[in-house]
Amino acid sequence: MFLEIDQLTMKFGGLVAVNNVSISIKKGAIHGLIGPNGSGKTTIFNVLSGYYKPTGGKVSFEGRTISGLPAHQITAVGFARTFQNMRLFKTMTVLENLLVAMGHHAKVGLLQEILNPVAVHQEEKKFVEKAMELLDLLEVADSANALATSLPYGNQRRVEMARALATDPKVILLDEPAAGLNEVETEDLRKTLMKIRNLGVTIFLVEHDMKLVMEVCEEISVLDYGKKIAEGTGAVISKDPVVIEAYLGQEEDR
Amino acid sequence: MNTTSIFLQTIIGGIGIGSLYALIALGYSMTFRSMGLVNFAQGSIYMVGTYFGIIWYRGMVMGLHVPYAAAFFIGLLCNVLLGLLLERIFRPLAKLDLMLMLLATIGLGFILDNLFTIIFGAEGFAVDSPLSNTPWKIYGIRVLPQMALLIGVSAVLMVGLQLFLSKTKLGMAMRASAVDYEIARTMGIATNRMNALALSIGCMMSAAAGILAAPIVYVAPSMGAAVGLKGFAAAILGGLGSIPGAIAGGLVFGVLEALSSGYVSSQWTKAIAFIVMVVVLMVKPSGIVGEITIEKV
Amino acid sequence: MKNKSSILKWILIGVVVCLVLAFPAFAKNRYQVHIVNNIGIWILLSLGLNIAQGYGGQFNLALGALWGVGAYTAALLQTRLGVPFWINLPLGIIAGATMAAFVGLPSFKVRSHYLAIVTIGLGEVINLFLVNQDELTGGALGINRIKPPSLFGFPIDTDERFYYLILIMVILGYLIGRQIVGHRIGRAFRALRDDFQAARAMGVNTGFYQILAFAISGAYAGAAGVLFAHWNSYISPDIFEFKSALIVLTMVMIGGMGSLPGSVVGTVLLLVLNEYLRVFEEWQLVGYGVAIIVVVLFVPGGVVELVRRFGNFRQRWSAGLTKEKSNMEEQQNVP
Repeated sequence: MFLEIDQLTMKFGGLVAVNNVSISIKKGAIHGLIGPNGSGKTTIFNVLSGYYKPTGGKVSFEGRTISGLPAHQITAVGFARTFQNMRLFKTMTVLENLLVAMGHHAKVGLLQEILNPVAVHQEEKKFVEKAMELLDLLEVADSANALATSLPYGNQRRVEMARALATDPKVILLDEPAAGLNEVETEDLRKTLMKIRNLGVTIFLVEHDMKLVMEVCEEISVLDYGKKIAEGTGAVISKDPVVIEAYLGQEEDR
Repeated sequence: MNTTSIFLQTIIGGIGIGSLYALIALGYSMTFRSMGLVNFAQGSIYMVGTYFGIIWYRGMVMGLHVPYAAAFFIGLLCNVLLGLLLERIFRPLAKLDLMLMLLATIGLGFILDNLFTIIFGAEGFAVDSPLSNTPWKIYGIRVLPQMALLIGVSAVLMVGLQLFLSKTKLGMAMRASAVDYEIARTMGIATNRMNALALSIGCMMSAAAGILAAPIVYVAPSMGAAVGLKGFAAAILGGLGSIPGAIAGGLVFGVLEALSSGYVSSQWTKAIAFIVMVVVLMVKPSGIVGEITIEKV
Repeated sequence: MKNKSSILKWILIGVVVCLVLAFPAFAKNRYQVHIVNNIGIWILLSLGLNIAQGYGGQFNLALGALWGVGAYTAALLQTRLGVPFWINLPLGIIAGATMAAFVGLPSFKVRSHYLAIVTIGLGEVINLFLVNQDELTGGALGINRIKPPSLFGFPIDTDERFYYLILIMVILGYLIGRQIVGHRIGRAFRALRDDFQAARAMGVNTGFYQILAFAISGAYAGAAGVLFAHWNSYISPDIFEFKSALIVLTMVMIGGMGSLPGSVVGTVLLLVLNEYLRVFEEWQLVGYGVAIIVVVLFVPGGVVELVRRFGNFRQRWSAGLTKEKSNMEEQQNVP
């Protein structure tokens, strides 16, 4: 019982974005979530992150219900995420972006922040060290003091992942990490995902790049129009006629 | 006079002042809809438009006494031009950093209020109505002719605007431009022109409001502040960005103010406007008529 | 070479420090010191506003009213109960911070431009209260005969003596401000300003930090208010009208939103200019309005950004000159 999405339903006015979806994610796994555009993938992420309260059903993590908790508390519980349209903090450097994510681990109290500069300095040193380790892992350490948005696209994506990892998560939600990446970069991404997994972090991945999904995900859930239509290993779902229909059908419309 | 007629009279007065607020609220909503901008200077624009018209009517320009109707149109025209000028100045800011846009309109308000104080002095003056000063008696209710004029012309303007937006090609293009900037762009709609149009209409409405109300309220460079604020509260009450909402919000607000004027001192009406605004924003941000926008994550 | 320039730097700093400390001695007259004292108080206001708005993105246009809250707290406590400055100061700070936190509550449900208007409104409500509660606050006439502070029996009742008190408070305010914005709190502020939703996902308790931003600006305003009350010995509600909030906003914008030294620069610039261009208040305000629009359209980062751009320009210019020089030399070498 690690991460359980239990009969989750999400309605916006009359629109049902997620319809009674149940997904069970195993600890340490790389679990994929695929489906045509508008099938509800990002909505599920948003519920998991705490931006939405589910209209029905719940999400539990390590036995405890987390759906409905405010976003920053969900992060404290051990969730991190990246965003589809990449949301780095525009006026801050790469390093600062990570330091923000580490802020909620700070042991120095608020009043101490102002009155005890020595303690603050020491704690920050430790944070900076840890941040540099993560940046190193993601091979963007040299840009630590550059403005985050000044980096080339692929590096920005890595920074975003490093930032998510900086919250010291147990689960990381990656929202289309391969978007906009070429083949070489996607291969790098695959290696990075393995590195993340080796850190002991469970990965829940939304992606359109089928090759990548098949390669890295042990288990894949398929959504269409808010409903789960298939689930299983890559081999299984790629032969599932329902899945093929959903994707092919979409292609014909578009 | 019995209580019913006093009550009805108060209501009429409320509709009158409410028409004023509605016109101002329209200015806010139109600017917000098209440029995504809250125009802090709307009250100042109302003041400026009033002066643009009234100075001709009052013979303050080279001693020429221009008939009220002509002065009305001159004031409207001047404010339309002002709107065009403002669009040009604010163009680089449209839909960009919200804070910067708001700050720019604050600066604009500063400039207009104080420039006109320098030109005309802080004192201000009363304006005679072009119509008679004896109230009409309709079914036992006393209505000042000017009040009737205010309500009547405002209604014409508001209905005219609704028709324009829903029935004419230009109006519909404006609505499209407001709903989705990017799509409108790709469809070839000149969004800058649409913004200029929206802004001009808003400024024009404010001028109309001011010139019509001038014989009823006092004209002074400081007249924009309170009205601007109340107009904004009305726009929020009805739903910022909604045209029918602005109209409804304005009228409701005016009537409420008229009804409570017996109980609450005029200083506190300003505070009440704010309280209404805060409550609406916190309870139902889309206002009583307005559309809901979901914040996209 | 390097040693030489850093020794030079320290000498320069030493000279500036001496000048600052000895200012009242060589000032031309008392009036100059008075002006500088006034600037000091406005610097505190600008620092507070900048932290909340420049760093945290929270519009706080109730700042004038919060300044008033601090001032009235001190004035009432001093004139009614004889409470001295040193106790009024922390009380004023707490009062300002608490009131500011209330003003900031709507920030949960209300975003940027709405928030600006709401804070104006709440500020006006506070002002209305100050004007209308005659019994308590003295109404429109204000409160006078506020006793100046005294340090162990040594009265601080001249501008020269106030200078040092205000100087210390400004320095403290600045250092505390730097400590706030340079570390976790400042980063959290900037994160919630840069991208609210992303900040939440990164564990930032955005609601808490929003209120904190307001509270901090209120604390600075409260301190400035207490200082003002004891220095001016007379306060009235019109000093703390909405206009004052706009003036602080102009100072922060001109100096540079999001830069603490910018706040100092902006405040000094504006007030010094005021003194030299002794024009009607209306023209001043028109000038402020024009300045805001110019800044917003052309140099949103204020003076600080101007300086940076100038620095870049100089760098590129001298780099360009060097390149031209080597190009010319190359050409000359070609037979």
